[in-house]
Amino acid sequence: MIAFVAFSLRSAWQGFRRNGLMSIAATATMVLMLVLLSGLMILLTGLDSTLKSVEDEVQVVAYLRDSAPQSEISSLQISLRNMPQVTEVGFVSKDQAYNDFVTRHPDQVDVIKSLPNNPMPASLRINLRDPNDYVDVASYLKNNPDVERVLNIRQTVDQMVTVINVLRAGGVVILLVVGLIVLFIIVNTIRLAVVSRADEIEIMRLVGASDAFIRWPFVFEGAIVGLLGALITIGLLFPITGLLTPYVSVLPVEAGLAVGPNIVLIVLGSGVGIGVIGSYLSVHSYLHR
Amino acid sequence: MQGVTKSYPNGRVALRGVDLIIPEGDFVFLVGPSGAGKSTVIKLLIRDELATKGAVLLDGRDVGKLKRREVPKIRRKIGIVFQDFKLLPTKSVRDNVAFALEVIGTPRREIAPAVDRALRIVGLTSQADQLPSQLSGGEQQRTAIARALVHSPRLFIADEPTGNLDPLISWEIIQLLLRINEMGVTVLMATHNAEVVTAVRKRVVALEDGRIVRDQAGAAYEREG
Repeated sequence: MIAFVAFSLRSAWQGFRRNGLMSIAATATMVLMLVLLSGLMILLTGLDSTLKSVEDEVQVVAYLRDSAPQSEISSLQISLRNMPQVTEVGFVSKDQAYNDFVTRHPDQVDVIKSLPNNPMPASLRINLRDPNDYVDVASYLKNNPDVERVLNIRQTVDQMVTVINVLRAGGVVILLVVGLIVLFIIVNTIRLAVVSRADEIEIMRLVGASDAFIRWPFVFEGAIVGLLGALITIGLLFPITGLLTPYVSVLPVEAGLAVGPNIVLIVLGSGVGIGVIGSYLSVHSYLHR
Repeated sequence: MQGVTKSYPNGRVALRGVDLIIPEGDFVFLVGPSGAGKSTVIKLLIRDELATKGAVLLDGRDVGKLKRREVPKIRRKIGIVFQDFKLLPTKSVRDNVAFALEVIGTPRREIAPAVDRALRIVGLTSQADQLPSQLSGGEQQRTAIARALVHSPRLFIADEPTGNLDPLISWEIIQLLLRINEMGVTVLMATHNAEVVTAVRKRVVALEDGRIVRDQAGAAYEREG
């Protein structure tokens, strides 16, 4: 068994080295395809986190009556916090609202100062787990006697949710299509590398090599191609994303382009996985004749 | 072979009811025009193809009924060489021969002595480290013979081994096969080479259109008398 594994690894390495051109071609294809795939994934991850931050911005703003007693406001806050759709409830007092207005609109300070008393209402700002729950929370607030008015941004929220859903679905579709193309191209390249050594496989069969002895060196060789391709890809991703980040940061993207541990694992896994599966299938067609 | 018929998926019938017994230690020439079924006989013996009807028995076992994982074990009892040598161009003579043992899982310490022995038999000890491209045709075929011998087969099959070689070199190859036969190995040689067959006077099995038309000991290439 140990001799078998040693043989397989040794001849996999020999096969990789001796068929230099084919190995380089297969590895290069692997690298190009993995860069394409992982680059797309990084972009989509950036897009997704941007969308998420946009979603987090969605707040239900409820203006409170000046007459509302503090105890009622507190109990409203508590019951809102207990709603499953709500992540956070913030309270902005009349004074705070006044100060906010003054800092935001310094040119209109004279106008507001000319008024006899503070016209700004106190408000509750409720962050939602999912913008789709906007209607539920808004209508709950409208029915409360202490709430004077709920800021109506329903249409805006609906439009935003539609756009976000289309972007997400589009991203997934593109990723799937590109993933399939990448799989097809890599498997084909590995197939070519195996076909170019059909003689070797035939000799092995004729001298009575068992299927395992024929198959595993090629499978290990596929793994070497995959591993090497994945490592080169990861090595390339850091400088590439580094170069592109300044251009992307112009866009309102919260999280920039980042090569996270997820991407590293996915690249390694798909590189080695496709290499192994591609070789296995390619040799398989020679064994079962 | 008992009543063996072989038809290919394209409808061509290569063998029609062939009965053939080759005793252990025999030396048999398989002759006949192209397309007569010589190659099919060989493919059936190494179970590269399966008989459509009838049975192919090797060492008492029906090779057609072997399980997949038993097929390699049968092939290890057979050594085979072809007209086109089938050497690996990137490996030296020694490595080409050793390859046949490596891929069947022979321990490394047993490989070197067996390879040396096979190279001695074919007389290539001094060329062991050259690549096939540096050798003459005859030397390449001797390399192939060494590879077919290295695992000590009991049946040695040669498919047109002299087809690409000139007469003098062909003669050397035949001498080598006769020596292998003297070592107790059964030899089956498919050939067109009338001169050699007639000179050696061994058993001749002639195929024509998928049938055995002649089976004669100590015979010539053509029917005599």
